[in-house]
Amino acid sequence: MKELLKIVIVAIFAGTTITPLHGQDNAKLTGDEILRLSDVNRNGWTSYSVTTTIMNYEDKELTEEGLFEVSIKGMDKTLVKFMNADVKGQYLLMVDDDMWIYMPNTRKPIRITPLQRLMGNASNGDVARTRYAEDYAAKVTKEETIEGVPCYVLELNAKRDGATYKRIDYWVEKETKRPKKAEMYLISGKHFKSISFDRYQEAAGRTLLTQMTIIDRLREGRTTVMKYASYAEKEMPEKYFNKDYLEKLR
Amino acid sequence: MTSLSRKFLILAAVCFTVIKAAAQGLEYRFSIADEGTLTKLNLTTPLNFQNGILPQPVQQNDAISNLFLSFGGLSTSLNVSALANNLTPPDYSYSIRELSYDLSLSDNLDVTVGRKILKWGPGYAFNPTGVVEPQRSPSDPSDRLGQNVGRTLISMTAFAGKSSLTFVYLNDAQFQSGVFHWGEHEYALRAYTFLSGLDLSGILHYRQGDRLEAGTNWSCVFGENLELHGEFLAKKGSSAMYHQILSSDNPDQIFASYPYAERFDNSNEIFYKLLLGEQYTFENGINIAFEYYRNMDGLSISEWNQWMKFVKFQNGIQQGSIAVPPQMIGPSRNNLLWALQTLSPRGTMRDYFFGREYYSANRWDFEFIQLMNGDDASIVLVPTVTYKISEFFSVYGRFTAFLGRSDSEYGALFMKNSTNLGIQFQL
Repeated sequence: MKELLKIVIVAIFAGTTITPLHGQDNAKLTGDEILRLSDVNRNGWTSYSVTTTIMNYEDKELTEEGLFEVSIKGMDKTLVKFMNADVKGQYLLMVDDDMWIYMPNTRKPIRITPLQRLMGNASNGDVARTRYAEDYAAKVTKEETIEGVPCYVLELNAKRDGATYKRIDYWVEKETKRPKKAEMYLISGKHFKSISFDRYQEAAGRTLLTQMTIIDRLREGRTTVMKYASYAEKEMPEKYFNKDYLEKLR
Repeated sequence: MTSLSRKFLILAAVCFTVIKAAAQGLEYRFSIADEGTLTKLNLTTPLNFQNGILPQPVQQNDAISNLFLSFGGLSTSLNVSALANNLTPPDYSYSIRELSYDLSLSDNLDVTVGRKILKWGPGYAFNPTGVVEPQRSPSDPSDRLGQNVGRTLISMTAFAGKSSLTFVYLNDAQFQSGVFHWGEHEYALRAYTFLSGLDLSGILHYRQGDRLEAGTNWSCVFGENLELHGEFLAKKGSSAMYHQILSSDNPDQIFASYPYAERFDNSNEIFYKLLLGEQYTFENGINIAFEYYRNMDGLSISEWNQWMKFVKFQNGIQQGSIAVPPQMIGPSRNNLLWALQTLSPRGTMRDYFFGREYYSANRWDFEFIQLMNGDDASIVLVPTVTYKISEFFSVYGRFTAFLGRSDSEYGALFMKNSTNLGIQFQL
């Protein structure tokens, strides 16, 4: 019965509803279950939109700032609308592991690879793929205390070739299941990026991630700060996430 | 910047401010660019010897403004431009690049009516399956000044999951001097699906009086870095217009009337267009694209050489090195002008290679385009550097060099090189 209850709770958290996490029976949670619970802190609803600001720093100096409207539907569909004047009208569509970019000048969606960057150090996957449980298999390797907060340390391994990273070391707060930090690795084994999940706030009645920082480990001194605002539940028809519909978006 | 350009910039800025203030809730994009061009002419080419047949400017300034507006299902894209050069009086022009209405009949069915730019192929420089798209240049695939104009059409698209089916009726109807003229009826059908990581489309296209053509295009990604794509379009015969000199043994002729005709319209031979391409992204962000394009409608190397002999004969008459009766000099000049219609901005011959390297870092964008004629090895090189001053302003420099033997496609063009310097404002 307890097992059944656990499955139901995990299924609910992975779906739409967020309920208080305190008091979970942590000892019985697997790595995958912890990962699903941690995803809830980054995704409020099954279908929603969020405004994302990306700020690139080089040697602590702000070099570039971009504004995006990100629409997410279900576990596998993301549409990113570029809001800055110099890239206005541009869209990024991500379905499962596959990505297309639509540029108003060329008037057609172009298939792109995971390494083609959205802006600066933020890969498309950093913006579009916020449900790690869909992309990675997790196992608990140890527990550590980070900045006084007890955390699980998860090792995430890509389930699919198209996942943004090959492997992620992922720290999740034991009490709240909020992501704390992550270390990302490429297929080649290179240490690619470090991510710290800096700030959570009440948004639309839920506690959600509002700021994270990406540190580029291949190019020293390059840092990206991503801020999330205006979370809102939003119903969108399936056709919005069909490659051929991109030319109709404004 | 010329006085004309300054007036144009002020006019465009005022128009935009008024529209922006008047239209709350409107989706818009606005850009205005001023571009200066210096051209080094190819004065020895037989196509335009000493710039005497079709005079080309060596200095030019273009001020081009593009405004995109969308409200509900209605959207339009307008282009206003001013041109000044060292040959002709300053000139203003405008074009309605797009004016269309999108109607969503249901969550799965959409209809579009009006003038619209539709592009169907995944190719970067060439699109054999782009049967409904406007003409464009492979050396400027991103249409940097926004000058492509849409076609008049009615399209209906049905969406079903990761698939879609689009039917398009096109007619380049025109309204001239108060009279409406229907163009040829044209129909296109595309079935698209996304299957196991493969973007796959099947295309049928029929133009009134022509034969049905069929094709396919595809693209797929391998790993983190590599994308492959291809396009193929084929039909029986060809509706391309060919100069009669291509099927003549004697290139030293002067034609009395328009010398172009459909040479293979009744042929049962299959004429195809094929594109194979890839793009690869390195971990440091450098992106490399490469494409090979074969167009069976294009001239073979022997046909090109025959055409070039014909051009040289007419040029010899114009320069006085070939003696003909005086009354033949005028017709010969017309023959030279007619001969220029053989040249196509999309490539005149059969085989082309395209390369593009791109890198973006901080405020700098670097792009280097190479376009090579695979039959005569002539090349177009286009390096471009763009610096983003801010989100709204950017400046760019673009150099275009045409290289090759004097009788090759790009070596014989009117210019040896051109330099563009521009500034762009976007909102």
